[in-house]
Amino acid sequence: MSGTVLVSDISKHEGEVLSPMRLQELVPLPAPYDRLEDQPAWKELGAAARENLVCNLDGFVATSLPKPKDAAEEQAYVDRFVEGLRKLLEKENNWTFLEPLLLSLEYCVKCQTCNEACPVYMGSGEQDIYRPTYRSEVWRRLVAKYVRPGGKLLSRFTEGPIDLNFTALSRLYELCYRCTLCRRCAQACPIGIDNGLITHELRKVFSQELGWAPRELHEKGTVLQLAVGSSTGMVPQVVKDNIEFIDEDTSEETGLTVESPWDKEGADVLLIHNAGEILAWPENPAAFAIILNAAGIEWTLASDAVGYDGVNYGLFYDDFQLARIALRHVQTAKKLKVRKIVMGECGHQHKALMTIADRVLTGDLRVPRESCLPLLEQIVFSGKIEFDPSKNDFPVTLHDPCNIVRNLGIVEPQRRILRYLCPQFREMTPHGVDNYCCGGGSGFAVMSGNNFTDWRVSIGGRIKFKQILDAFADQPGPEVKKYLCAPCSNCKGQFRDMLQYYGALDRSGITYGGLVELIVNAMVDVKEPYIKWEMH
Amino acid sequence: MSGALLLTIAYVLLAVFAVGFVARSVRLARLPVHLRWELAPIPHEKGKGHYGGSYLEEVDWWTKPRERSLAAELRYMLLEIVFLKAVWEHNRRLWWFSFPFHVGLYLLVGTAFLLLAVTAGGLAGLGFAGASALRNATVGIAWAGYAFGGIGAVGLLTARLSDRRLRDFTTPAALFNLVVLLAVFATGLGAVATGDYVGSLTGLLGALATGHAGVTAPAVAAAHMGVGLLFLAYLPFTPMMHFVAKYFTYHEVRWNDTPMIRGSRMEREVERLLAQPVSWAGPHLGADGKKTWVDIATQEVGK
Repeated sequence: MSGTVLVSDISKHEGEVLSPMRLQELVPLPAPYDRLEDQPAWKELGAAARENLVCNLDGFVATSLPKPKDAAEEQAYVDRFVEGLRKLLEKENNWTFLEPLLLSLEYCVKCQTCNEACPVYMGSGEQDIYRPTYRSEVWRRLVAKYVRPGGKLLSRFTEGPIDLNFTALSRLYELCYRCTLCRRCAQACPIGIDNGLITHELRKVFSQELGWAPRELHEKGTVLQLAVGSSTGMVPQVVKDNIEFIDEDTSEETGLTVESPWDKEGADVLLIHNAGEILAWPENPAAFAIILNAAGIEWTLASDAVGYDGVNYGLFYDDFQLARIALRHVQTAKKLKVRKIVMGECGHQHKALMTIADRVLTGDLRVPRESCLPLLEQIVFSGKIEFDPSKNDFPVTLHDPCNIVRNLGIVEPQRRILRYLCPQFREMTPHGVDNYCCGGGSGFAVMSGNNFTDWRVSIGGRIKFKQILDAFADQPGPEVKKYLCAPCSNCKGQFRDMLQYYGALDRSGITYGGLVELIVNAMVDVKEPYIKWEMH
Repeated sequence: MSGALLLTIAYVLLAVFAVGFVARSVRLARLPVHLRWELAPIPHEKGKGHYGGSYLEEVDWWTKPRERSLAAELRYMLLEIVFLKAVWEHNRRLWWFSFPFHVGLYLLVGTAFLLLAVTAGGLAGLGFAGASALRNATVGIAWAGYAFGGIGAVGLLTARLSDRRLRDFTTPAALFNLVVLLAVFATGLGAVATGDYVGSLTGLLGALATGHAGVTAPAVAAAHMGVGLLFLAYLPFTPMMHFVAKYFTYHEVRWNDTPMIRGSRMEREVERLLAQPVSWAGPHLGADGKKTWVDIATQEVGK
């Protein structure tokens, strides 16, 4: 199929791809990325994937859903899904989000005001299936027809036509992983309807009722984290060894004594990193250690399983997995008797532990939790560390991670630091709480199976890439090195893949990194440049 | 049809409206506390709301008093409710119809209150110097309300039927709602244009208030009253109740950034909710309809 895709089409044309994407239909990029023939071709699905996996939405596969054996299995999934929809609207099963969900179910006036706020929809060249309202409308019609009393009779009048079959179910599942939950659409809605929330809740039905979730988020994500301590697979001793190695390496490079304390009882700060930083961007935890030690903060890392990895992918698809991990984080803090938990540079960690889990942490589980960004601001302006901003005299722009900025309202601390330490800092347009998602949100940054990486960098992150290029439009060539500051591990994962995909370091001189790296780079005591102009 | 029967139907329609309105509003108000799901900008954050900042920008935020600005919140609400700011910013094409449509409705709510005031004054035998001016103002506001509303409704209907973006998402119910409202506006305009608008409408309202079935009114005014009552009875069961829902979407969801305090009422409510049995069938949860939310969240997994 192609062209206009109606909501009711989701259940039609079994075996076909509902809306195949084409590179030439995407929103154009600025030069030198404007020539279609220069853009990498999308990876074709392998024969085994085509044979075994459902691929019926847009030609990409994020969820790796196996094809059912027969019609009976398909029908069993459909029946369980309807049961899940029912549970989603029950106080006992879904008190956690029932109020916002019912509001979004019953009061949308279908005005489409949210459409153009969505970077996926706009980046795709306004493909119908990526409208923030498309999947919400499918859900509304399904609830009206299959869950509400008299739905078979009334739903056509109240909500519109729809049929539920395995084709619709599997497309809806895949479509739930085409929204990054950035909630830009919710900001635009005059009534306050939240399509991001609807996507989140649908993901929950698939996980909590059918046991369906992308492997990267579930088996290799929350399950692995709860089993061994980290979604990276690192067990406590490995984490300690890695940090020790990073400390030694950084001490050698900077000439400073870099030492990360472990399991210090009664510390003021328990710092929890996204453990992915330790493996992929070791300069980030090292920079934290340099700054906190230089500022004289009483801090510690924890070696308890889960306590050293702030990742909580439960945020994206499963309330119970979220709560299980959040509890382990707080239990670690209680065991160490620290005064507060500080989030490292990880957006979804911020949102999961600071706000979403806030109302399941009752009684003595209420350990204070705060972002690293205000703490870093306090340190930078405390006078305890001497800075030379001229060491950062290169173009810098800031990406606002949705989970820290739009969802938590932490907007200015990071900006005050950058305005002070980076003479050539410039904002993207739009920025702050109006930012665009990097395209790797809601777990996408760690989802690279099949051909999904191509989707998230070329469609999901397209508007963001355009925005980054626009921010550096005054010095577009590779001869001027430019820094994209992204204080979030998942955003960095997406930028790594995106900048590599387009060859943006070679073609435009753009690299990326966190905020603490810029702070350390500006420290007078750090003699050698801390930022390495390389893709990592 | 006899006057008594018409009066009875009118009472039934009003009762349906009242019960539906209260029931749907109370249902929203009584929904359980939910997990935090705030969304910046939150205007009540004093000194920060204008750029979308929150108290989470503060080191040790839990040790500091939370400063809130009611004025900033009211300003945000005023711009949103009166001028439909979000539609203006994100859907300008629709705003040109949606704005007059809503202005029309606001003016007609004002008209209804003025008519009730005039009716009440008349029934109480009150006369005052400005009565004539009040009646003229009522007619003027009503006329503007019907005209703006009518223009908006026609525009919205046209947009819903012709705009590709809207067409697939437009339900028969949404078209029906607009047609009913258009009938309200058209009959209202007719009532204003063809007779003693205030006299006719207050006469009918007076009949409703006193139960006096012998009151007569011009056909167009009676039709207006009839369509208006039908619309009122139907309103609580439609998404048009979003004027109530909007309170909850903004104040209870987007702007609800209240942290849970130990020993608070919210904490007691959450503890009650956590103790409810859960029946999700996902294999990793091990829910059996007896285990509670907290049992599942705290069971040892993967060790």
